[in-house]
Amino acid sequence: MTSPFIIDFLIPVGKIAAVIFYPMVMVIVMIWLERRVVGLIQRRLGPNRVGFQGILQPLADAMKLFFKEDILPERADRLLFNTAPILVMFSSLLAFCFVPLGEPVRIGAYELKLWVAESPVGLLLVLGLSSIGVFGVIFGGWASNSKYPLMGALRSVVQVLSYEIPVGLTCLSVVFIARSMDLVEIVRRQETAGVWYGFLLPVSFVVFWISAVAETNRAPFDLPEAESELVAGYHTEYSGMKFAYFYIAEYTHMVLVASLVVVLFFGGWLPPFPSVRALRFLHAVPGFLWYLAKIMFFLYLYVWMRATFPRYRFDSLIKLVWKWLIPLSLVNLLVVAVLSYVL
Amino acid sequence: MAFKELELNMGPQHPSTHGVLRLKLAVDNEVVLRIEPIVGYLHRGLEKLWENQSYVQGVPLTDRLDYLASLSNNLAFVLAVEKLAGIVVPKRAQYIRVILAELQRLASHLAWAGFMANDIGAVSVLLYGFEAREAIMDIFEEYAGSRLTVHGIRVGGVVEDLDDRVTGLIRGALLEIPKRVRDIQILLSENRIWKQRTAGIGAISAAQALEYGLTGPALRASGVRRDLRRDIPYSSYEDFDFEIPLGARGDIYDRYQVRIEEIFQSLRIVAQALDNLPPGEIRARLPRVLKIPPAEVFQTIEAPKGELGFFMKSNGTDKPERVKMKAPSFVNLQSLELMCKGNLFSDVVGILGSLDVVLGEVDK
Amino acid sequence: MSKLRAFLRKFFLWDMLQGLWVTLRYYFSPKVTVEYPEKVQPVPARFKGILRLFRNDQGKPLCVACKMCQNICPTDCFDIEGERPAGARRMRPTKYDWKLGRCTFCGLCVEICPTDAIRFSPEFRMSSVDKERLFFRLPEMYLQGEELQKKFCGCDQP
Repeated sequence: MTSPFIIDFLIPVGKIAAVIFYPMVMVIVMIWLERRVVGLIQRRLGPNRVGFQGILQPLADAMKLFFKEDILPERADRLLFNTAPILVMFSSLLAFCFVPLGEPVRIGAYELKLWVAESPVGLLLVLGLSSIGVFGVIFGGWASNSKYPLMGALRSVVQVLSYEIPVGLTCLSVVFIARSMDLVEIVRRQETAGVWYGFLLPVSFVVFWISAVAETNRAPFDLPEAESELVAGYHTEYSGMKFAYFYIAEYTHMVLVASLVVVLFFGGWLPPFPSVRALRFLHAVPGFLWYLAKIMFFLYLYVWMRATFPRYRFDSLIKLVWKWLIPLSLVNLLVVAVLSYVL
Repeated sequence: MAFKELELNMGPQHPSTHGVLRLKLAVDNEVVLRIEPIVGYLHRGLEKLWENQSYVQGVPLTDRLDYLASLSNNLAFVLAVEKLAGIVVPKRAQYIRVILAELQRLASHLAWAGFMANDIGAVSVLLYGFEAREAIMDIFEEYAGSRLTVHGIRVGGVVEDLDDRVTGLIRGALLEIPKRVRDIQILLSENRIWKQRTAGIGAISAAQALEYGLTGPALRASGVRRDLRRDIPYSSYEDFDFEIPLGARGDIYDRYQVRIEEIFQSLRIVAQALDNLPPGEIRARLPRVLKIPPAEVFQTIEAPKGELGFFMKSNGTDKPERVKMKAPSFVNLQSLELMCKGNLFSDVVGILGSLDVVLGEVDK
Repeated sequence: MSKLRAFLRKFFLWDMLQGLWVTLRYYFSPKVTVEYPEKVQPVPARFKGILRLFRNDQGKPLCVACKMCQNICPTDCFDIEGERPAGARRMRPTKYDWKLGRCTFCGLCVEICPTDAIRFSPEFRMSSVDKERLFFRLPEMYLQGEELQKKFCGCDQP
């Protein structure tokens, strides 16, 4: 078990495979969840014919997209057109390397860490890597050589770039309290502090959540890809597997954001009230399951918001972030800094 | 500045043009400069078809005009025929016609609310509106056998009498529908995103509305108190007590509010009609072959979309010489350019939705 | 005071939370989908299904080939010919062609038939992949239920 071959080669390769496998599984669950939950909210059954309660529906969707004709518009820029889906997918998946999924597991004498890499600036790396996806959007819109995707791509880019700022500022407020940018450290600090940061910093949490939903281009901020406005935004001209890539990449980004919220504000793998003695028995449940439960709640919240709210118009979107969210997050940061110095 | 213009086409196939409507837009950096609706994709030659069918045979064709409110179309056509021929409709039939027409108004407004909310993003409201509409469609199915193209109002009266089962369903709907509409109001009226998308957008003043010939809820939202059920009462509407909701600014939000209020007023009218239903015949006696001596008539009613009118000319035979239909959606569509100018491209969808255009009656 | 209330409601996203509560209520409410074809909703008595010819209690056809349905149909669906058999009191149809593809289900023929021979039935399964199968001749106008379905698909399954 402690041979160098296993420790230095097999386990990292296994972890990388897990980092690709785990988001894909979550994406498949997410696709099914979205259609089923939106259906149930609308008082109808969602897909329930393909497999038990429709669980094989994502598989049917994937097979359909697989067999579709792969279209390349006539005057599209070939290299950029083909690179765009890869970039979006790549950025979301790579950021998963730094997300901790649970407490380190003891196997014999070896401690298996449930994350691929740990870095003192893990948070910064995650935010930076997930922003590479913007390039994919620009490439996709430009390379399609068509008016609608171009407009959709431009809108999407402005939206994502603007909403990066409140995301960064609210993360910074968490860093202030945790005194570290390492995601694993942040979870451990929540354990020693005895309370999840979401309760200490409610304003940060709400602003982060709203900005994160806007970053992932989800309702109510999904104007760039709204069906009734611009047909489908920057991925109008894509079909078949390339469209599937965009589709999966969007869901992967959602899962990444949900993971980030859980790690930063909701204690990662910790059970509720982690340092209360009387609730020690909650620790018997593995941290990974707590983490999964919390992620599922936020994924449900995504779908719930999608089914309820109308869409923001583009200029209202931008006004919201620049006039409200950024000043609010700046003030919040100041207050947190002052309080954490004083207390 | 001409080269900054981008010419866009919201083609006949588009998820939000409520039918086969083509819109040619000229946008400058997202701001709409010109918009030109191009219609005719659903033209079926109905006005010519009516000339070759007898008066009684022409009524089923009217179902397909505004297909979301078929009984109102029936009513307008049939009233025109009766005016031409001088047929007196029994009182009970008139009350049942009022019930059917108001139920149809409810159904039309619920469908409209659903589609408009769906265009603006609130996807669940579509399903809630249609579920409420199901209650009304079930009433029509029990009453006449059809849900959408009902053909329940015929020359001389209505097709059937109201029996206990239908009355029970109507009373049930009167209780169910307000609950659903209140839920829709919570989801939409008070929501800040909805208000941002609709308040102040696509405003049209009362003077401009009258100039462009706007009718129906869109006109009332601009503050003009004109409702044909009050001004030129037909089919015993003068016996009923209801309010006419008015708006102030004439923007999308006011048009939305006016229609939601009209839903509640329609429920009131149906309740009154059911409570005071007089006994009597449900159809006037007609000759075997209805021949009408030469005359001309123009009959308008307050359809859910606006003022729906039929001009009919008879020539002594059993077929009309000429039937011309004034469709409210066709006339309302003219003011689209005025409302959209200066607004953003994303608002075009909202404005078109608030005008409540159904291509069946635009194209005939 | 009400201004303060309005500001607080706006800040704490009260209208959004109300909307979320409505959809949550609907999430836990019973669903209205009728899972066809396992469950079939019964149709009302006056339902306008496919048109059928009927016989009287003695098994004699009710249709007397008066052609009133043919005259009143707005879309020209009927083609009827009749004759009076020797020694009979009434006419009988010898040809009764009906085009389902043209029917608008307006009900004028049902209303005007003097002997109540043609009526709507509760059958709404009228799908076929072949336009020829939408053309009905006289004996086929009396088919109901599974026999009718066999005519539509030409196979043994509905």
